[in-house]
Amino acid sequence: MSKVIRFADRRVRIEDDSFTLVRDAGAPIAPEGDILVPLSDWLERRDALLNRAGKVGLWVSPSEDPKQLSGVLDGLDAIAIEFPKFTDGRGYSIGTLLRKRYGWKGELRAFGDVLRDQLFYMARAGFDSFAVPETRDAVATAEGLNDFSAFYQDAVADIALPAHRRRELAAREAKITRTLRQLKEIAARHPGAALATSLSAEDMVVTDLIARNELPIHIFTLDTGRLHEETVGMIGEIQNRYGLAIEVMKPVQASVDAHVGTHGAHAFYDSLELRKECCGIRKVEPLNRALTGRSAWLTGMRRDQAVTRGQLAEEERDTDRGMAKFNPIADWSWEDVLAYAARYDVPLNPLHARGYPSIGCEPCTRAVRPGEDPRAGRWWWEQRDSKECGLHVSNPPPPILVAAE
Amino acid sequence: MVEERVAQFRGQMQRFLAGELTDEQFLPLRLQNGLYIQRHAPMLRIAVPYGMLSSAQLRMLARIAREYDRGYGHFTTRHNCQFNWPKLEDVPDILALLASVQMHAIQTSGNCVRNTSTDHLAGVAADEIVDPRPYCELMRQWSTFNPEFAYLPRKFKVAFNGAAEDRAAIGVHDLAFELSRDETGEVVMTVRAGGGQGRTPRIGPVIKENLPWREMLTYTEAVLRAYNRWGRRDNKWKARIKILVEAIGAERFSADVEDEWQYLKGGIAQITDEEFRRIADSFVDPPYLPDDEAFADVSLLRINNKRFDTWLRRNVVAHKRRGYAAVTLSLKRTGPAPGDATDVEMDAAAELADRYSFGELRVSHHQNLVLTDVARKDLFALWQDADKAGFAEPNVGLISDIISCPGGDFCSLANARAIPIATAIQQRFSAEQQEDIGELSIKISGCINSCGHHHVGHIGVLGVDKNGEEWYQVLVGGRSDSRMALGEILGRAVKIDEVPNFVEKLVEVYRAERLAGERFIDTAERIGVEPFRAAVYPPKVKAA
Repeated sequence: MSKVIRFADRRVRIEDDSFTLVRDAGAPIAPEGDILVPLSDWLERRDALLNRAGKVGLWVSPSEDPKQLSGVLDGLDAIAIEFPKFTDGRGYSIGTLLRKRYGWKGELRAFGDVLRDQLFYMARAGFDSFAVPETRDAVATAEGLNDFSAFYQDAVADIALPAHRRRELAAREAKITRTLRQLKEIAARHPGAALATSLSAEDMVVTDLIARNELPIHIFTLDTGRLHEETVGMIGEIQNRYGLAIEVMKPVQASVDAHVGTHGAHAFYDSLELRKECCGIRKVEPLNRALTGRSAWLTGMRRDQAVTRGQLAEEERDTDRGMAKFNPIADWSWEDVLAYAARYDVPLNPLHARGYPSIGCEPCTRAVRPGEDPRAGRWWWEQRDSKECGLHVSNPPPPILVAAE
Repeated sequence: MVEERVAQFRGQMQRFLAGELTDEQFLPLRLQNGLYIQRHAPMLRIAVPYGMLSSAQLRMLARIAREYDRGYGHFTTRHNCQFNWPKLEDVPDILALLASVQMHAIQTSGNCVRNTSTDHLAGVAADEIVDPRPYCELMRQWSTFNPEFAYLPRKFKVAFNGAAEDRAAIGVHDLAFELSRDETGEVVMTVRAGGGQGRTPRIGPVIKENLPWREMLTYTEAVLRAYNRWGRRDNKWKARIKILVEAIGAERFSADVEDEWQYLKGGIAQITDEEFRRIADSFVDPPYLPDDEAFADVSLLRINNKRFDTWLRRNVVAHKRRGYAAVTLSLKRTGPAPGDATDVEMDAAAELADRYSFGELRVSHHQNLVLTDVARKDLFALWQDADKAGFAEPNVGLISDIISCPGGDFCSLANARAIPIATAIQQRFSAEQQEDIGELSIKISGCINSCGHHHVGHIGVLGVDKNGEEWYQVLVGGRSDSRMALGEILGRAVKIDEVPNFVEKLVEVYRAERLAGERFIDTAERIGVEPFRAAVYPPKVKAA
């Protein structure tokens, strides 16, 4: 059986090739087994092909117009592009277009005259699978992927980037590495350390780093009872994506009732004091409760989020709670966060896409307009320098003590 | 990266020598590392990006010439330096030496994006509108190891011009950018595609006006993708982009590129301000003296020394700074092939660069070396030193400043030799005659690949093969300046001995017909090709 070189997660594997090439359109197709069919078969017999046992891939001749592939790729297990001669470079453009423009995320295979010396370029053009002709040695061929170390710094998805974008990426890569190292240190130094997640993109990135690397860091969120439906939905997203049930802290209902009973359901619009009292009941007290007995906690705060966070350090001392506090992505930019999320397919709160860069309780958050400060939508009726809920200020209001039931 | 490429190529060379790679498989690999197999030996072509060369780099070329070649190298018309006699197995070592001075032979041949070329006076020219070098460098970085475009249908040459006068022959490039400024001062580009020489010479039509500079790479990506997808691959002679552009028409090609570009513009290949600054910062002016200190009036020296005076008029051009000048070191002395330089000469040129021009040189597309930043007060001393080193032939732009490919003496593609013709023409005209004739560019190619740019010489000479013999066609009326034009073939090919006679007759026509102040090309443009044709191919008198 001929071999296929697979390249995924920066690892190279050599496997038996399970696919059989059905070269001619309309040719009889075996009832089972993995097959690669021409485009016309796929377009005409899609359902039949999907209902048989075995994977279905598409094989594409370099003379075909890649525009035809737009919008017809759903259901395919692989796309294989033929290189009739290794000097025929059309397949590189087809591969690039499939990855960059037509959104193909599945196996992208090169077959035909596949030689060691072209593997590096093929991989950078988005190919992650290389069928080696039977006459050639797959192991020796795979070594072509090792020719340039720079290759290993680039994920396949970051294909064909100009150098200046690669430098941005390298800087980003360095941030990820440093952040991960810090998270590992925190986990080692502070058993029981916990991330307080607001389910924002930032906190999702930290959550992803923790989950992906199986770090022993506890994760909890504060469900204030007034969150957007979309925000609460993220708890389920984390469960689905990582198989991780994060702890959900709720405010003490008696305190909420007492506050609403005295001041009404929208007292936070009336004065800074009442707003902070509401924050105290719904966020600060549950936070304090969640942190009891721990020696460190983590946030996803970033320096360029707000003027109040301009001096934020990666590590600080939470003197009021008597514990260490870490902001491991303090030096990340919003672009860094989005790039990380895109690369690792991190689920994001859909509100971000609707103009909410910073998300709190529903009545107290609005979308921001283009050009506005990212936190302009939080307690938007207040002055910029007061806009903290109390979780992250050095003198938090004392926890509101209500006897637990 | 360059060092890893050397290691990769060393491995490929070992596999080739061990018989694991066939000739056919090794061919594009060695070509993309600049290695040809030629008539006598391999030929290695080394890139001098946009022609800029430090004295340290030139000394390394001299060392390679001495230790691995027969003591000389050849500067080409596209900012490259070629070695004609390296041993195959030495090539990885040579590449490693080059890497130590940040030089390489990557993508100097093969069907990929080649070395980017530009004005040899870039950054110092008095008529410059935009310094093209940062754009060349951005193009160089983007096109090097670009995975999508390493196996194009055919080679692809890009050129930039940012001055009023085009000194880079941009019309005969696969893709060319002419830089200017719009009314707000932003840099914009006029883009031409599909120019070239070879057997189908074409001046590239304009396919895009007012391209914002930030979109230079996104637009190039669109052009290259269209070419990579649709350029012909069935016939090597019809595979250049000019054939595609001509086949579907410039308008349709331009529209197709525009369609593709809609997906790309503003995207990841858009150049950011920060990146542009980072690149542009490496093209800063050297520490010039104040003009008054650098300037010196040399008119007395000129009156007293006619050779210096001639040299000054011929080999020295104005600089953007009053106190400075750009000086051509001629590689066109009678005898050696145009563009050849020995190791001793290269070391000497490096020495002159260190002494007079901040340690920098340029390789011009006229196959000379240029010192771009010489203080005017040093001109006389430089002339004396250059004269001693054999670089002061005062013939820049004259009939003996011949552009020529290596021809059949070296190149395995050539039909005919080029160098003996250059030598014969150089010997035919005395210095006084040359002065009298004035500006006249002769360009000689040993075959239709046109490496000697014969299509755009005022007089062009092309070697052709007839039954295994060397014959030559002669062309008149080409030019490579801003008014680029292709020369016209005068008639049937002639033998090698006849070529200098032809040139002499053509020059006689010019001398008889010229008006005051007219150069050869001006006269040719005014009177047309026919009088020249009649002089060399006298019409037969019909028998009564």
